[in-house]
Amino acid sequence: MKLSRVFFQNGAYVLFIAVILILPLFLDDFWLNRISKYLVFGMLGIAICLAWGYAGILNLGQGLFFAFGAYMLAMSLKLASATSLMQGSDEPIPDFMLWTAEPDSPVALCCINKGSFLWIPFLNQWFGVTMGIVMPTLIAFGLGYAMFRSRVTGVYVAIITLALCLLFRLLVIDAQPFINGFNGLTDLGWFVAMGIEFDPYMKKTYFLVAILLSLVLIGAKWLVGSKVGLILQAIRDDEERVRHLGYDVAKYKLFFYCISAAVAGLAGMLYVIAAEFASPTFMNIEFSILMVVWAAVGGRHSLLGACLGAILLNVIGATVSETDVLVEAWQLIIGGIFIFVVLVMPRGLAGLTQDGCDWLLRRFNNRGKALAPVSADTARKRSTNV
Amino acid sequence: MAEVLFLGLSLASILLLVALGLAITYGAMGVINMAHGELVMIGAYTTVWSQLYLGLNFFMSIPVAFVLTAALGYAIERLVVRRLYGRLIDTLLATWGVAIVIQQAVRVEFGLAFFGIHVKGLGPGLQNVPVPRILREVVMIGDFVIQPYRTFIILFTLVLLVATWFVIYRTSFGTQLRAVSRNRSMAACCGIDDKRINSLTFALGSGLAGMAGVMLAGLKTTFPSMGTPLVIDGFLVVVVGGVGSLLGTVAGAGILGELQALVATYWNDIIARAVVFGTVILIIIARPQGLFSHRGR
Repeated sequence: MKLSRVFFQNGAYVLFIAVILILPLFLDDFWLNRISKYLVFGMLGIAICLAWGYAGILNLGQGLFFAFGAYMLAMSLKLASATSLMQGSDEPIPDFMLWTAEPDSPVALCCINKGSFLWIPFLNQWFGVTMGIVMPTLIAFGLGYAMFRSRVTGVYVAIITLALCLLFRLLVIDAQPFINGFNGLTDLGWFVAMGIEFDPYMKKTYFLVAILLSLVLIGAKWLVGSKVGLILQAIRDDEERVRHLGYDVAKYKLFFYCISAAVAGLAGMLYVIAAEFASPTFMNIEFSILMVVWAAVGGRHSLLGACLGAILLNVIGATVSETDVLVEAWQLIIGGIFIFVVLVMPRGLAGLTQDGCDWLLRRFNNRGKALAPVSADTARKRSTNV
Repeated sequence: MAEVLFLGLSLASILLLVALGLAITYGAMGVINMAHGELVMIGAYTTVWSQLYLGLNFFMSIPVAFVLTAALGYAIERLVVRRLYGRLIDTLLATWGVAIVIQQAVRVEFGLAFFGIHVKGLGPGLQNVPVPRILREVVMIGDFVIQPYRTFIILFTLVLLVATWFVIYRTSFGTQLRAVSRNRSMAACCGIDDKRINSLTFALGSGLAGMAGVMLAGLKTTFPSMGTPLVIDGFLVVVVGGVGSLLGTVAGAGILGELQALVATYWNDIIARAVVFGTVILIIIARPQGLFSHRGR
């Protein structure tokens, strides 16, 4: 039997999905909740990988899309929480709105303050869920349209996305009466779907996250392998050339940028379900750059790599943080790891694994043959020299 | 109105202080140095240390900070940045790693905290630097209040600006620097040691960051993560002004500083920052090359 690289690759995806689905058998509820948050971060890794690894769009403001997803669902869940129902009104009112309300304003969602009427549709939880995907995608569309049409590339994209993320962070912080500003939305109700209440410390919440992550992973893998995905990779490698071949580069980039934003929005919603809060810290620069770090360490050109990178770094971080002294040291180590990865292995852990597999494959497939093995590098050189 | 303009000028001078170093490392070398903010932070800490341990006064800590951060920058260039020329985005990521390492090093007191040793002037806490008395007393001219320290920062920024201009446009080092930044391999062909120039340029940019740190130490509190917002502001200024243009950087700092002061006076600080970010986004989308960019050939 001749083994191929694709076999290993698909095997890795199947193995990953199998592992995250049987994990609940071995973990207690506390760790399960933690891991489900890290799986959400894994989903962010996929979002970064789609935009950065496959489309070459380094988005340093991915936190914006994550936060938008989170806030949209959190608004619905805030209205569903017990405290919102106990504010002396026949409809739910978020508690912080009363704290900042003017003395004679009516206790009703329509008019307690200037912006509060926008909360009314969020009484329906599914409106929140829909908006959690739609809003990030819309913002990505607007921004992406402006950027890619005027052919803004590279570092400028990074700076624009970063600035936009910080802009929204400030707007949220400034909007104290409307969305509880700096404190974020806490004390949320549980997400309810099809009669199931998703208590964050129950297995069903973990499964919700794990199954959605698997679907996103499979979907993303299918997408990058499709014709669109191939054109996109060509754009990443040489934008001008693809443009001269007659493709509308901006359209392809825009499409993937929007997909990446939608995935980040979904991740934001799942995070709210698992962690029960939404906060403007989601839009901190550090968080957005950290996502890129995860993807870079895991492997920026590999969906599974980026996803695993996020999960592993967080699991190690959480384990290490049990000891007080090591909390700060872990940050130091992360910085070190990051410099090392960028300098020495730009393809990340996935690249390392791939090289290992290639080596194994050569050993396996050349067994008993007198042929000298051709290294992947020379093969690549040969093909490019032609 | 004069007070608003003065506030804007003061904000602009701080932006320019931080952006000057970036204008050199990013503008001339094309290296996105995310650790620039941490170099500013080290500069600020140098002020703390030189008062605590060396008994130096505020003004004397300026050259100390310059030498220390320039040396640190030189080391960063030799160890990390040098390996990444031509990989622009990767320099951004690697220097972000450097930034985390420097920040944490200060926070864990260079590792001493692990052994239970605590050094004064290090660690995660806040540090405060007293400003010399001459720079503390408010001067009144009619109704107009002159804050001496802010005025001093504006003047110091002007001095640094002129010095930087002189180094870049009037010295042989500057000529070589500009040659390397325009066309690296051509410059190397003409006998310029481009690696040496790069290291020195990076050291110069870092040294400027260090001096900016001293100024900021007198203005705000000093703490390990003070650099991150600064580096972002600095990049916005450089990009808005146009990469590789000193004049553009000055204009960028002026525009953003005055804009922030205006909006902050008539609305509030948070919205002012938001307006600045919004303006930057619009400018980059409309003119990706920046307001003042040199014509490429």
